[in-house]
Amino acid sequence: MRLAIVGGKVFDPAGNWQGQERDLYILDGRLVEYLPAVDVVIQARGLAVTPAGLEIRSAVAGFGQNYLRLWGVWPSPRELGQTYALLGYTHIHEPYLTFQTANYVHRELAAIPLVDTSASLVLNLQEFDLWLRDPARHAELAETWAYLLEHTRTLDLRLVEPWVKFRQDFLRPRGLQTAAVVEQLLSVVNKRGLPLTLEATPELLALDLPVQPGLHLSSLGPALTEPGSVERALALLARGTFADMGLLPPTSRPGLPAHPVRVDLGWFQPFDLMPPVDPQVAGRALHLALAGKEYQLAFSVACLGQTPPSSFPHIFTWLGNAANRRQDWGEGQPGEEMTFYQWLRATRTLPARYLGLADRGHLQPGARADVALYDLPQTGGWPESCRRCRLLLKAGHVVVQNFTLVQPEAAKVTYYRRGPGTPNKLATEFCRQRTLRPENLRVRRLGPGRWQQVA
Amino acid sequence: MESRLESVVCPGCACLCDDIDVTVAAGRLYQAANICLWGASKLLGHKRFHAHKERRRLTHPQLRQRGRWETVSYETAVARTAEILTQARRPVIYGLTNTGCGAQAMALELARRARARLEPADLAWKGPYYQILKEFGVVLTTLEVIRDEADTLVFWGANPFHSCPRHLVRYSFFARGRFTDRGHEERRLAVVDIHPTELAELAQVFLKVRPGEELALLQDLLSDLEGRAPASSKGVRRLAALLREAAFGVIFFGRGVSYGPTPQILEGLAALTARLNEQSRFVLFPLSTDFNAAGLSQILLRELGSPLAPDFAESPEVTFYAEPVAWDQVDAILVVGADLFWFLSPQEMQGLQSRRVPVVALSPMANRTTGHAQVILPVALAGVETAEVAYRMDGLPLQLSALVPSALPSDEEVLEAVATAVDKRVGGR
Repeated sequence: MRLAIVGGKVFDPAGNWQGQERDLYILDGRLVEYLPAVDVVIQARGLAVTPAGLEIRSAVAGFGQNYLRLWGVWPSPRELGQTYALLGYTHIHEPYLTFQTANYVHRELAAIPLVDTSASLVLNLQEFDLWLRDPARHAELAETWAYLLEHTRTLDLRLVEPWVKFRQDFLRPRGLQTAAVVEQLLSVVNKRGLPLTLEATPELLALDLPVQPGLHLSSLGPALTEPGSVERALALLARGTFADMGLLPPTSRPGLPAHPVRVDLGWFQPFDLMPPVDPQVAGRALHLALAGKEYQLAFSVACLGQTPPSSFPHIFTWLGNAANRRQDWGEGQPGEEMTFYQWLRATRTLPARYLGLADRGHLQPGARADVALYDLPQTGGWPESCRRCRLLLKAGHVVVQNFTLVQPEAAKVTYYRRGPGTPNKLATEFCRQRTLRPENLRVRRLGPGRWQQVA
Repeated sequence: MESRLESVVCPGCACLCDDIDVTVAAGRLYQAANICLWGASKLLGHKRFHAHKERRRLTHPQLRQRGRWETVSYETAVARTAEILTQARRPVIYGLTNTGCGAQAMALELARRARARLEPADLAWKGPYYQILKEFGVVLTTLEVIRDEADTLVFWGANPFHSCPRHLVRYSFFARGRFTDRGHEERRLAVVDIHPTELAELAQVFLKVRPGEELALLQDLLSDLEGRAPASSKGVRRLAALLREAAFGVIFFGRGVSYGPTPQILEGLAALTARLNEQSRFVLFPLSTDFNAAGLSQILLRELGSPLAPDFAESPEVTFYAEPVAWDQVDAILVVGADLFWFLSPQEMQGLQSRRVPVVALSPMANRTTGHAQVILPVALAGVETAEVAYRMDGLPLQLSALVPSALPSDEEVLEAVATAVDKRVGGR
C-alpha cells in the first residue's frame, strides 16, 4: 500500500521540523523519502502532522492492577486501548513486571487493543546482593540479567528500591545504601550495555549520578519531597540525565479506595498501587516539568490510578496553558508554558529514544508510519487541539479517522531485548529458587500479537 | 513407545503445581511423579478418595427422554441446550472454577448472548470477600513470598489437606523458603474450624467453633489485640499472642466461612487483618480449591470490572450479585467446570426437580450433576487433554499443556457451538 499525507504542517523534533509544510510518503507501513505514485492520498491541509505518541510509564498491567477495578476507578483494557489511540498514542510501556509476574503482565498487556507494548523487568536486589558486592562477578551478573530480559520478554531493567534492605532482622547487616548500590549497578550494566531505569527517590536526587546512555531516572515527581529537591533534579537534568516527569494531580482523585491497595512482591516495602497525593510534592513535580522542558525530560505521570489516560488532555493543559493551570492549582505556579514542539519532544522523541525504538517517535525516512494528525492549534493553544487526534496511522494503517476509531483490532507488537538465549550458572541458580519451574515462567507468545526483538 | 514429560502443570487444585513429571504411553497417562491424590484424580482418572477406583468418563452426548437416556450427536445436544437457554426466563450458567480461561471467556460470551446469569461456583464465600475489600483495601501477595517469609499461618475454615493437599508442602507450613529454611520449625500455625481436622493436629493453637460462633471469636480477638476487655471465648488469648508475635502472617480462609454469616465473618477477618497490619505484615488470602477459580475472578474483573456474578437479563445493562442465586427462581441451568448438585441442599435439589428445571451438564466425568441432567455434553479434560490457561490461587497465570489426545471437544468449543446456536435461535435479539 502506497500512501501520501499531503499539505500538512509537519512537526518532528527528531528532524527539527517545526511546522514546515511537507508531504510524507508511506510504503508498506514505513515512511520513505518520496513516491512518484500513490494509492491513497490523505489531505492534511490545516492539520499538524506529528509522530504518534509513546507512553513511557504506563502502569496498566502490573500484578494487582486488576483489583483497582473493584472501586470502578480503572478502565477496562478495551477502554484503555481506545483512549490511548484517540489521544494519538501507539505504544505503551509497563514499568512494573517482575520475574514471577511476567506472564501475568504480558497477558494483561495482550488484552489491551490497538497499542504496541513493552515492559521493564523490576529487579529485587535482595536476590543479587552478594554478586553485586563482588566486582569479579559483575560480568556474570550482567549476563544473567540479560538472560532474564529475554526470558521475561522485557526491554530494560528497573529498580523501584535502589538499595538493599532486608525485612529480616538477622540480615540487616547485609544492607547497602543507595550510593553503593548505584556504583555497583552501573558497573554491572556497563559490562553488557544494559539499559537501566531507576525509579527516582530523594536519595538518588542527592547523588552525583553519571550521565550515560541507557541510564534513566523515572518518575521524578514523587521524589521531590523536600523544598530544595527541584533544584537538585534540575541540576541533574542540566547535566544531560535522561528522566521522565512523574506528574501528580493537585488533589487525590475522588472515588479512590480509602484504604491501601498494596502488592507484596517480597521487596523491602509492599508496593502501593494508589499512593496518596501530597499537594506540595505535586506542585514541585509540575514546577520541575515546566522548568525542565528543554532538557531530556519525557512526559509521564506518577500514578495512572490518580491520573488515568483519559485525564491526559487535562494534564496537557497544565503544561501548555498557564490560565488553565491556575484554575486547578491556584496562584503561585510558574507562568511559563510548554510549547507544542516541546510537548511533542516529551511525548514522542524522548520516549522512543529512551525505549531504544529507533524507528519510532519520528517521521524521518525508514521510520514506521505511526503518524498522528491534530487540528492546528488555534485559540486555546495546542492543549485544546491535542485533546483528541483527528487521524491516527499505525504502521501505515488508519486507526482513527475524524476523531473516531475505525480499526479497533489493529495489529500489535510487543518489543523485548535480545539476550544470550541460554542461562549461565547464576541464571540457572536464580531460576531454581522459584516455586515455579523456570520453563513454566518463560513468557510465550500470546494472542495474535507478535514479538519483536530490540538489539 | 512411551515418553516422559517434565514440569507438567497439574490442574488438580488451585496450587497448580508445576513439578509433575508424567509418563505417557499409547495416548494415555499412566505414571506421574510428585503428584497428590487430587492431581491423580485429574491426570490419572482415579477417584479422589479411592485411588484404586477409576472415575467414569463420559464419552457420548446424551439426552434424557421420558426418563431414559438416549445417545445423540453433539449437534442435537447443542441444539437442545440452545433451546433450553433461549426458552428460559432466568437461565443460569453455573460453575466455571474448574475449567480453563478460554472456556470461562466463552461462557461469559454465552451468558451475554443468552441473557443469562453467570454464577461462579465459589460465589458464596468469594463474593463477600470482594465486597469487604472495597471497605478495607487489600494487600496481595504471591505464594512464593509466603513460602519465603511467612512465619505465622492461620487457616480459618480451610483445610488444605482436603482442598489443596500440596499447599502445605510447597507454599506454606512445611515449605522451606529463602528466609524460612527450617520450614515448619520456624513457623507457627493456628487453625479455626468446626471440626478437629488433620491440620489441627499440627497447630500450636486450634480453636473449634460452632457455626455462628466465629463472630464472637473475632470480636474477642480484636478486643484482646487492642488491650480492651478480656476475652470470653476459649483460646483467644493464645491465638492473639500468636498473631501479635508475627513478623509476616497470612490468614488463609476457605469455604468453611460460608457455613456461618459469611459477610460478617469476612468483615471481621478483614478488620482483624487491617488491625494486625498496623504493627506487622498480614495478608488475608482466600484458599481456593478449584484449579482456576482465580482465573474466573481475573476475567470478570478485567472484562466487566467486578468479580461478582454478572446477570445479563437486562442486557446491555449488567447487574452484579454478591449473594448466591436463589435456585427457586431459576428455570434453566447450564453447569460447566463444577459439580453443582454436590453443593445443593436436599431442599434445593427437590425444588429444582419438582419444578422440572432443565439442567445441562458439560463435564468430562460422570458426577452428581450429570446424574440429574437432561442434557450431557462430554468434554475433554481441560489442562490434560486440551491446552488451557489457568490462574494459580494467588492470581499468577500458568499455561497448561495438552498431554494426551482426546476425541472429545474442549468445553470452550462446545460453549462456542452453544453460543452460535443461541444466536441463531434469537436471531440477533
